[in-house]
Amino acid sequence: MDILYIAVNIAAFLVLAPLFEGVVRKITARVQSRQGPPVIQPYYDLLKLLGKQNLSAGNFAFTVAPMLALASILSVIAFMPLGYQANYLTRYADVITIIYLLTLGGVACLLGALSSKNTYALMGSSREMITMIMVEPVLAMTFILGAVKVKSLGIDEAVFSTAGGYGWSAVLMLAVYLMALQAFVGRQPFDIAEAEVEILEGPFIEYSGPNYALFRYYLMLKQMFYAALFVMVFIPFAKTGAYGVDVLVQLAMVFVVFIVIALIGSTNPRLRIDQAQKYYAVLIAISLVAVGLSVYGV
Amino acid sequence: MWLTSKIKQVLLVLKPGVVTLKYPFEPHPVPKNFRGQPVWDHHKCIGCGGCAAHCPARTILVRDLCQDLRVMMYDGSRCTYCGRCADVCPESAITMSEQYELATNDKNDITLSMELFMLTCQRCGRCYNREKTNMIDKMGLKGFRYDNLELRAVIQKATEHFDEKMLEESDRHQRPRKIGE
Amino acid sequence: MLTIEEVKNKLSNRFKSAIIHFDHPLRSRLFVDIDKARVREISNEIVRMGGRYLVSIGYDNIARDKTLGLIHTFSLDRDDLFVCLRSAVPAEDPVLDSITPDIPNAGWSEREYMDLLGMKFTGHPKPKRLILSDDWPEGIYPLRKEVPWNLMPPPAENVAYQLDECPEGCTVVPVGPFHPTLHEPAHFAVFVDGETIKGCDYRGFMVHRGIEKLCQTQVTYNEIPFIAERICGICGSVHATSYSQSVELASGLKISRRAEFIRTIMLEIERVHSHLLWLGVAGHLIGFDTVFMQAWRVRESIMWFSEKLTGNRKTYGMIVVGGVRRDITPELKDELAGVLKTIEKELMTIKNAIIGDTAIHRRTKGVGCITNEEARLWSLVGPVARARGIDIDVRRDHPYAAYDEVQFDVPVLDSCDVWATVVVRILETFESIKIIRQALDKMPDGPIMTEFAEDIQPLRHAISAVEAPRGEVVHYLITGEENRPERWRVRAPTYPNLQGVPLMLLNDQFADLPIIIGSIDPCFSCTDRVVKVDVGSGKAIRLTGRELEQISRAKLNAGR
Repeated sequence: MDILYIAVNIAAFLVLAPLFEGVVRKITARVQSRQGPPVIQPYYDLLKLLGKQNLSAGNFAFTVAPMLALASILSVIAFMPLGYQANYLTRYADVITIIYLLTLGGVACLLGALSSKNTYALMGSSREMITMIMVEPVLAMTFILGAVKVKSLGIDEAVFSTAGGYGWSAVLMLAVYLMALQAFVGRQPFDIAEAEVEILEGPFIEYSGPNYALFRYYLMLKQMFYAALFVMVFIPFAKTGAYGVDVLVQLAMVFVVFIVIALIGSTNPRLRIDQAQKYYAVLIAISLVAVGLSVYGV
Repeated sequence: MWLTSKIKQVLLVLKPGVVTLKYPFEPHPVPKNFRGQPVWDHHKCIGCGGCAAHCPARTILVRDLCQDLRVMMYDGSRCTYCGRCADVCPESAITMSEQYELATNDKNDITLSMELFMLTCQRCGRCYNREKTNMIDKMGLKGFRYDNLELRAVIQKATEHFDEKMLEESDRHQRPRKIGE
Repeated sequence: MLTIEEVKNKLSNRFKSAIIHFDHPLRSRLFVDIDKARVREISNEIVRMGGRYLVSIGYDNIARDKTLGLIHTFSLDRDDLFVCLRSAVPAEDPVLDSITPDIPNAGWSEREYMDLLGMKFTGHPKPKRLILSDDWPEGIYPLRKEVPWNLMPPPAENVAYQLDECPEGCTVVPVGPFHPTLHEPAHFAVFVDGETIKGCDYRGFMVHRGIEKLCQTQVTYNEIPFIAERICGICGSVHATSYSQSVELASGLKISRRAEFIRTIMLEIERVHSHLLWLGVAGHLIGFDTVFMQAWRVRESIMWFSEKLTGNRKTYGMIVVGGVRRDITPELKDELAGVLKTIEKELMTIKNAIIGDTAIHRRTKGVGCITNEEARLWSLVGPVARARGIDIDVRRDHPYAAYDEVQFDVPVLDSCDVWATVVVRILETFESIKIIRQALDKMPDGPIMTEFAEDIQPLRHAISAVEAPRGEVVHYLITGEENRPERWRVRAPTYPNLQGVPLMLLNDQFADLPIIIGSIDPCFSCTDRVVKVDVGSGKAIRLTGRELEQISRAKLNAGR
């Protein structure tokens, strides 16, 4: 049965991530008075990219980076207690593992970018690095807050910490998480690392074909992961007990989160990296306060 | 301030709704005076070559094969759809059609060619009103022209009487080469 | 206020024998033949009188008196006067004093004639190649009459443009030749320290197709409006009008009042759609695509109207020498009034939605700052200048077409940043709507075309300026013999504005580069005009992707 949960996790993410990307595109299009692409366009994109030629910068790191990125995000997903149900793997890892694995995905992007030696890729990866360093703490604090609350680093305990009661610290954290959400998923106003008109998709500029498809897939999975994490951590009270229903309810809530992402994304200009840094600094400070509060049980 | 702006921006879209068309399936209707691909009516055309003389892009070529046979060719690949040809045509033989989907990978799809049988005027060789001192005359437009259809090149020499030598010469016309080539 | 007589007196008193001849065919045009040795002094004197440098025109006069001519043109905005200083240098030794040290904006014009006519300027701070491609052989000056229009010389070997020296500790980030910010090919080598821009070198003129040479040798007066219109895809009517006006001025042709009103309306329609287009592009450049799409949605209604009126969305083909080609019928007049109403309302909504948006302020306020004095020194034009507190507008200062009969305000702001250009452009759009309404009301009946009664006399000079959405367009025309101009010089507004861009970029963030370059509404192809047309007989060589990749890699590795 445990194996089934893992399979459901991975299948749900793999199948739905491009769909949610399509939803974001469609909503953005509607805000812009456009028809927009069909919702399933991202699937087409992936298929098309997979069928194209791989242009390679010629070194090993460049080729291996996209696979590493995809593998790391898939393993994170495998641990997640989707449908309020811890699976076979969950107990073998803790929140630190998740943070590590997520960072590994980011590092894989940097690896690919740096090995391509493109000026824009270098600028993009320096921006990506700053973003990673500044945003990752917010994620860590979210987990630590849970861990402090339940006094355990286990994934399911830490993630479902708010089930036992919200408290002001969690409310604060929820606000911070929402404010950081666009940065987590790399959309406006925080798509600084990719910034199409400035540095032409930054780290991914040299990628094409299947390698680029893997990166796109990685990005879609990543954004779905962050949306799902929000639902799991901050909306624990929709639990019905029936696994299938729970999964569906959670996915429906992820859908709602994506609508929010699309609306914020389509009504904001991109920030500059120095402006974003200040913003992230404030978020880190608030999240530290939230963790501090949780230590005192508030 | 920020939030009200955001709300206004989202509300902005509610009134117009979706304005883009599902283009290839639902083409945008063109207005009455649209300047699309020019179309020649060979019944009306008298072969005066006024369109060729006025075309800023030089896409209309005129070649006299002999005293009686004039070929007119429209090469749409360079056309700017300015509609000057339709303006100057004395017989309204040219209309600017509604056709605008002209992308093609074969030039011949947008090339139009007419062979006109010309009568010889006993007095002047070619019957256009050349007494008027208007712009067309000043462009050196004389009765016979020898553009090279194969290269689609306008040869700016014209003669008053049909000249076989010019015709041959125009066959050998070459595009400018690099010096030393 | 200076009258033409006062300017003449001042010049002849001060420079006496250096002034050879005055010529003023109109009250607002003064052509002065001057001694080449004192070009710099006299130019400075004109600037001191309040003159604003426009452009220089070089021309080949070898066939007549073995000289090359150079004309510096200035605009005295307060006095409705254009002053053109004509000097001539012998073709064997074409050396002239550079005016660039005092008037930095003349830098490009002078470099242009170094390339095209082989002139030399003593004291030019940056005598590098500007217009011609790097592999154009030395010693062939394409704008000289002896060079045929379709010459294709073999490329020079082993030549490359040398970039300016990169400041210490900076890296060079290439923006261009193809970059999504630029929309057109141009190359900015940006010297970046971390994310801060420390300098930049510009190498443009990559779509230089030789329109001027073509029009001077191949086509006729009445075909040029259509080519002029295609100098710029956005402000086509502006170039056609400016060219037509210069021919009309040179030949003394008076066109009908109705045609002038229709021209005014076309120009303002163009301004409305151009500013909306720019607003959209600016939104896109700061990563705000909703503004982009919404501004373009509003713009669409005026495009459709233009399609109905002229037969096409753009490149209207309306304006020819002597008048306009299509009339505005009463039905179209009513429809235009309706279209204006919707645009005004919709634009107001957009304005309200973005004017208070702090997220946009953060990306535009305090960005791309240059002071009023610097902007004056570099003779910036259009909204870019008006956002820096320089109160100039050709429509008001040198009225043409029907602008003398309509009332409008010229919005001027002095916060000197990109945000000010946004606001100036939005306000100008409302003014344009106002102008079109007045013009529609006041438009008299009458013919729309006036035919030439006689030939145009050769060697007459005329200068005409028209306020394009991006700034002023200047066309200088010397009439020629074979029913075509002897010399036709186009100065698009981007030409002076682009020269000010390195100054605007200095010490800003790299992330702001798109919006700063975007803020002048650059139009590289307009700037690039002049010399050769390649009709292309060369064989197309097909490379497979892999071959291309290998070649690129080989080049890259060789460069390391």
